[in-house]
Amino acid sequence: MVYTIYHKTEFDYEGMVTFSHNIARLKPKNTHFQKLLNFSMQIEPLAYEENDFIDIFGNTNTHILIREAHQSLSLIGQSTVEIFSDKLEQHNALVRENSVSYAKAKEILSGFSHDDTSVKLFMPESEFIPKASKRIQDYALESFYETRDMFEAASELMSRIYHDFKFVSGFSDVMTPIEDIFDAKQGVCQDFTQFAIAALRSIGLPARYMSGYIETIPKEGEEKLFGVDASHAWFALYIPSAGWVGFDPTNNVIPTHQHILLGSGRDYNDIAPLKGVVLSSGKSKLSIRVDVRKEPYL
Amino acid sequence: MSLFENYRSEASFDEMFDAHKNLREHWRGIYESIQNAGLEELGAKQAEIDWHLEENGVTYNVYNNPEGNGNRPWRLDPIPFVITGEEWKEVKKGIKQRATLLNLIFKDLYGEQKLIKDNILPAEVVFGHKGFISEVYNFGLKENFNLYFYALDMARGPDGKMWVISDRTQAPSGLGYSVENRLTLNNIAKDLYPGIDVKKLSLFVEEFKKLLYKLSDGDTAKVAVLTPGPHNETYFEHAYLSSFLETNLVQGDDLLSKNGALWLKSLSGLKPINTLLRRVDDKFCDPLELRNDSKLGVAGMVDALRQDNLAMINPIGSAILENIGLNPFMEHIAHYFLNEELILPQIATWWCGQPHELSYVLEHLPSLIVKKIDRTESVKTYLCRNLSPQALAELKETIIQNPNFYAAQEEISFSTIPNYTSEKLEPRNAVIRAYALKRDEKYTVMNGGLVRVSAGKDPLLVSSQKGGTSKDLWILGLDKKTDASHIFKNAPYVETSLKHMSTLKAENLFWLGRYLARSITTSRFLRYLLKNIANTYRYEDTQANETRYILQNALTHLTMTYPGFLDESMREKLQSNPINEILSVIKDGKRAGTLTFTIGMLSHTNVAVKNLLAVESSKIFDKLHKEWFSFVRKQTNSHRAVLSELDKLLTSLTAYKELVEESMYKEQGLTLFDIGYRIENALLFIAKARSMLCFRLDKSVAYDIFEGILSSSESFNAYRTQYKSALQFENVVEFLVFNPQFPKSLSYITNQLLGEFKTLPKSKPYLTSYETPLFKAYSLLKLTSLSEVIEFDEEQQIYKKLDSMLSTLSTLFAECSVELCKTYFSHYDE
Repeated sequence: MVYTIYHKTEFDYEGMVTFSHNIARLKPKNTHFQKLLNFSMQIEPLAYEENDFIDIFGNTNTHILIREAHQSLSLIGQSTVEIFSDKLEQHNALVRENSVSYAKAKEILSGFSHDDTSVKLFMPESEFIPKASKRIQDYALESFYETRDMFEAASELMSRIYHDFKFVSGFSDVMTPIEDIFDAKQGVCQDFTQFAIAALRSIGLPARYMSGYIETIPKEGEEKLFGVDASHAWFALYIPSAGWVGFDPTNNVIPTHQHILLGSGRDYNDIAPLKGVVLSSGKSKLSIRVDVRKEPYL
Repeated sequence: MSLFENYRSEASFDEMFDAHKNLREHWRGIYESIQNAGLEELGAKQAEIDWHLEENGVTYNVYNNPEGNGNRPWRLDPIPFVITGEEWKEVKKGIKQRATLLNLIFKDLYGEQKLIKDNILPAEVVFGHKGFISEVYNFGLKENFNLYFYALDMARGPDGKMWVISDRTQAPSGLGYSVENRLTLNNIAKDLYPGIDVKKLSLFVEEFKKLLYKLSDGDTAKVAVLTPGPHNETYFEHAYLSSFLETNLVQGDDLLSKNGALWLKSLSGLKPINTLLRRVDDKFCDPLELRNDSKLGVAGMVDALRQDNLAMINPIGSAILENIGLNPFMEHIAHYFLNEELILPQIATWWCGQPHELSYVLEHLPSLIVKKIDRTESVKTYLCRNLSPQALAELKETIIQNPNFYAAQEEISFSTIPNYTSEKLEPRNAVIRAYALKRDEKYTVMNGGLVRVSAGKDPLLVSSQKGGTSKDLWILGLDKKTDASHIFKNAPYVETSLKHMSTLKAENLFWLGRYLARSITTSRFLRYLLKNIANTYRYEDTQANETRYILQNALTHLTMTYPGFLDESMREKLQSNPINEILSVIKDGKRAGTLTFTIGMLSHTNVAVKNLLAVESSKIFDKLHKEWFSFVRKQTNSHRAVLSELDKLLTSLTAYKELVEESMYKEQGLTLFDIGYRIENALLFIAKARSMLCFRLDKSVAYDIFEGILSSSESFNAYRTQYKSALQFENVVEFLVFNPQFPKSLSYITNQLLGEFKTLPKSKPYLTSYETPLFKAYSLLKLTSLSEVIEFDEEQQIYKKLDSMLSTLSTLFAECSVELCKTYFSHYDE
């Protein structure tokens, strides 16, 4: 399956900005399950400097310096990604097969295992996902009891979030605390994802934030409009001796063929599509436009 | 009678006396000197030390000091901490070994992470610690990514050995204080402790300079000390370090990054910086990649490291080593990397992230000290024997919830040392901070250090934040190589020549001039207005109301505290009872334009340029600031009280101005202060003139108004000398606007400014963008005749020509200021 993705991010400033450093993350990652066939980025106004580097999570970051007076900065990333959904399905099946109980997982994680060292980066609290309260921990423990199979427990947690929380846009933003999301039981994909990660970490499990896209299918008979898709987020859980597996609590599915990964990290902040430091007293507004299309002929 | 007769230490080890109260031999020289001197002489020496420290402005800022000004004088005890050369040799080996190990750990954790992969160190000790900066992951392999400067705190344990207490790796402080302690103690040592040989600090300072020379590729102009600014607790030290290391002292705002490197903004343009001795914490170094809300760093600093264009002492990420969770694994790590035993003993430490250790800690909690492994956000130490059962239970729960974040240590009784305290000699606990530097492959340890002494008789925790005093550390013996002491004799190194001056400093000097002019003129005008009101009441003079209204309106225009007296809806109320509004213009610090607001702005700029000015000027300013704000807080608002405060303020402000002008040469930056002062005065005069001189005044009113405009710019006497006549409209206008000789006239100011502009570094043979508007102002003043502007427009009832000329001049002066700032203070087109 091949998807083409158009992702535009734009900062609008109140005043004129003459000097701004930015970091953009718009280039999708290559993994075992997807391959980036093509990528281009347009920056407006023209960048004075532009250089790429790979961060600790393997994401491509583009550092951009703008030195031209501007009141809005726009970045358009265009990518073509091939998804190997059969490989991903195979992997998920294998993880399911090798999955262990919650008690066993904790035992393995508390000891030393060469394979697990790097996943421990995803266990402590992070900047956007502080340690969750006892009540969130209790919420997670309902699915994760000692003898419970990890894969089943995580599927159940995903499905409980899907049923307990309402998808409401406009209620939250990236700064809304997880505890507030839990109180209100509403939010958007990134809130559900960060909530799930907080819950999993609170019971001692490694979980990571997955950022990317999902193809939306128009209602029958309707033409798909350009730019209606959104950037998407889901979480992945690490099952010791089995591996990482993704769960999408917004749609109650295990991602296989509709999800395109942009990058991953400990939380939203690690993979935010655009962040910047400008020398200006005014505020700035961020807007995003995304379009995902399946290439029918490939 | 022995001075030490009543000296009794309860610790198991005293530095001076053994368990049988016998003097330890290496203290003999000091001991006998103290005995010979006597307590009274010791007291005199203490006073001398205090005087030297105060004279040199040595301070330590204490956070959250309710007194407002947090500067506390630094304290130094006359009795040094003495260590023999033989013992020090061993201790030095231990310090070097520990520094070497920590450097290897540092490079590994930000590189291959072999320690984690080979199960030498649990991953949780690293990833759970907020000092692990994932943004610099993989920088460990870089040649310039090293723990260049290391400090460790140590104290003598009951077994007589020096024990490691903690490691300081991020931005170790105290070196400047150690040097100042030594220089200060030198003043009294010749008298008090004759004939004792002590190793010198200067070799270490030389070593530091060599390191900077190497890191900057031989060009130390590319080195800077990065400070969070004058409000930081150890700012004194930052300034001091930059002075004896002869480097730039900069704040984040002084720098910018482009082309993957850092640049210093200076008046003559951008200058490259490739080495930073930084005193800003890791996460605050770069708002782009690290803490987004930081105002102390430079966006792009991490990228400069990434692109190998910057060496940092120490690199971002080094806070991971300030981690007592490492302690239990150090022995193992020493074997792993060096195949050696640890030389310096550590306090027994249990990291709670291991099940076995956790259960030990929970079981023995009351006898332990519990700490978070991480001190990046807050430093918290639980002395468990002092905790209530309830607090202990809570602590247990906290540890169980977050075992990875906690470690427990055995409580150790450290040695005591005699300290001169309130005219007695008393035993005090002491902690030594020692320093090591890495140049090429080897570490060098300073032959000395900073000793901090506990404030009370008992406390186990010794910290400069919590009070207490300090001591110099003396290593007995002679240096092999001698005399590099000249390096301390250099005058404080502050780059002040206009050409090389940092933009931030220059900008602050410019604004210092502007705010000072504004404060002085506003105070003078308020004083005149208040006197006028007092007289109105006194003589029940109804005529005088007219004068008062004009002055009140002028106050609003002058201070731009609109709507103020121009508020039509409040007109009657404001006219009959102006005092509340006037008091607000004096006291309301939250309202832009008021006197208190302006003094607040002045105070910020004063702090920012402090080390360019004479010490006396900051003393005067601190006093002025304190007195003014205590008046602002008070409710007594009687005419007399307010007038007397304004008088006092004016006296201090003018004295301050004199000192500023005396502290600096023109080419050192005084020019910028002058330019700011003149531009502001011109703008303020125009504001007054437009609201006081541009309409026809009744004769009885006119006199007071003319007097007001003259005396609020301190020009009344000069006018009298010049004209020897009564106050007349055309004379006043001629004098204040056109007179080419009178230093306060617009014409004179314009002329002066044009002259001063020629001395600025970006001056050109043709007119620059900031000169053009001023040249227009100059021509306008030259080409306009007095008779033209005093022509009265009967129809509109104003001096129309005068008003429009003043309005044009005001725009031109403002434009000049904007263009000047753009040319010199922003570097975005370079």
